[in-house]
Amino acid sequence: MIGAIKNIVTSSQLANVAQNTAQSVTVETTLKAIGRPGFILIDNDIDADTKQYAAAKEFLYQATCLAVYMALIVPVFKKGGFKLAKNIIFKNTQGFEHFKNVKEYTHYRKLAENPNIENRQASLAKIIPGKDVKVKDQYDGVLLNELTKEKPDLFTNVKGAVELSNLIGSVLGLAILAPQVSHAFIHPALKLLGLEDKNKKTDNKQADKNSNTTPNFNVKA
Amino acid sequence: MLQTLAKIFLFRRYIVGITIMAGNNFQFIKKICKSLGENNKPTYVVMSIAAVKGICRPTFTMMDKTENPETKKYTALREGLTEVIAIPAYWTCGELSGKIAQKVFKGTGLEKRAATNLMFMGVCAAALFVIPGLCSIVIKPIMDALGLKNPEENKKSVKKTDITIPSQMKTPEISTQPLTHINTYPTMKAFTTRPQTGLKVGGL
Repeated sequence: MIGAIKNIVTSSQLANVAQNTAQSVTVETTLKAIGRPGFILIDNDIDADTKQYAAAKEFLYQATCLAVYMALIVPVFKKGGFKLAKNIIFKNTQGFEHFKNVKEYTHYRKLAENPNIENRQASLAKIIPGKDVKVKDQYDGVLLNELTKEKPDLFTNVKGAVELSNLIGSVLGLAILAPQVSHAFIHPALKLLGLEDKNKKTDNKQADKNSNTTPNFNVKA
Repeated sequence: MLQTLAKIFLFRRYIVGITIMAGNNFQFIKKICKSLGENNKPTYVVMSIAAVKGICRPTFTMMDKTENPETKKYTALREGLTEVIAIPAYWTCGELSGKIAQKVFKGTGLEKRAATNLMFMGVCAAALFVIPGLCSIVIKPIMDALGLKNPEENKKSVKKTDITIPSQMKTPEISTQPLTHINTYPTMKAFTTRPQTGLKVGGL
C-alpha cells in the first residue's frame, strides 16, 4: 500500500501532467465534473429533485468548461502561442530555430527526458508509420547531438512559451468564455432533460407547504 | 461618450504597452517564458484563473441591466468573495503539499518530482474539498456582517409575514425546517438558492 502511494507520488508521468498547464487544467476540470455532482448526490440534507437538479447543473457547467477548453483553447493558444513566440518574440532564436511546431518540440522533449541514451537512439531509428521516414531524419544536427548527451538541453524557453500561451488561454477560456457559453447552454439543456420544470414545481410545492405549516405570523383575530 | 473615451484610452494604453514591450525586445515576456519553462508550478494556472474570475464575474454581474441592484450587489459580492477565498486556498494547499513532499522524500533524489506531484494533488484537493468547505464557513458570516441578505430569502420572508389568517383557522405551532440554507456550500444548496441572475452556476 505504502509502496503504491510512493510510486504514484514519485511518478514521472504525473510530474509531466503537473508541469503541463493544459493537461493539469484538463485533469482538474474532469475531477470537478465528476466530484462535485457526486458530493451533491450523496448529500442527505437535500430532497431528491433538488439534488438531481443541482448535480446536473454543476456537471453541465464543468462539462461545458472542459469542452470549451479542449475544443478551442488548447489547439488555438498552443499553436498560436508557439508561432507568435517563434516568429515575433524570440525571432527564431534560443532553441526555436530547431522546431517547426509544438508537436516536434514535445517529441524531442520526451526523448530528452529519457535517461537511457540507448533507448533514445532506438526511438530515433524507428520509422514513422505511413511516411517511410526515420524519426531522426526530422531532427537537425544540433538536436541529434544533444540527444547523445547525458543531460540534453531541454530548451526551456520553448517550453515556457508554450506554457505561457496555454496559461493565457486557460485564463481567458475558463474565467471569461466558458461561463458565458455555459450561461447560454445550461438552462436549455436542463429544460431538455426535464429537470428545470421539475425543480420549479418542487420549489413551489415546498413553498406552499411552508406557508401552510407556518401560519403563526401576524395572526389577526 | 464616456464609454467611447474609455475605449480609446484603453486601446491607447494597449498599443503603448505593446510598443514598450517590443522596444524592450520582449524582455519581460522572455523572462516569464524562461521561468515557466524551468518550473511551471500547478498553482500558477489555478491562481491566475481564480484572480481573473474574481474580477470578471462580479463585473459581468454588475453590468447586467435586467436585474435589480440589490440582487446584483449580493451576487457580485458573493462571486468575488469565493475567488478571494480560492486564491490563498490554492496557494496554501499547493505549497504545503510541496513542502511536505520535500521533507518526506529528502535525500532520495526524488524530492523535486514528489514535490511537483503532491503540489498538483494539493491543488486538486483544494478545488474539490477545501474551497467549497471554506466558502460554506466564511461567506455567510461576511455577508451577514455586511448586512447583505439573499434577495430570494428576503422575498420569501416578506411573503410569509404578509399572510393573514382568520383566528378560527389558527393551527398549533409546528416547527418546520427552514426551506433554504444559503451559503451551505458543501451541501450545494447554494446552487439552487442563489438569486437567479448573472453567472449563477459555476465552479470556483
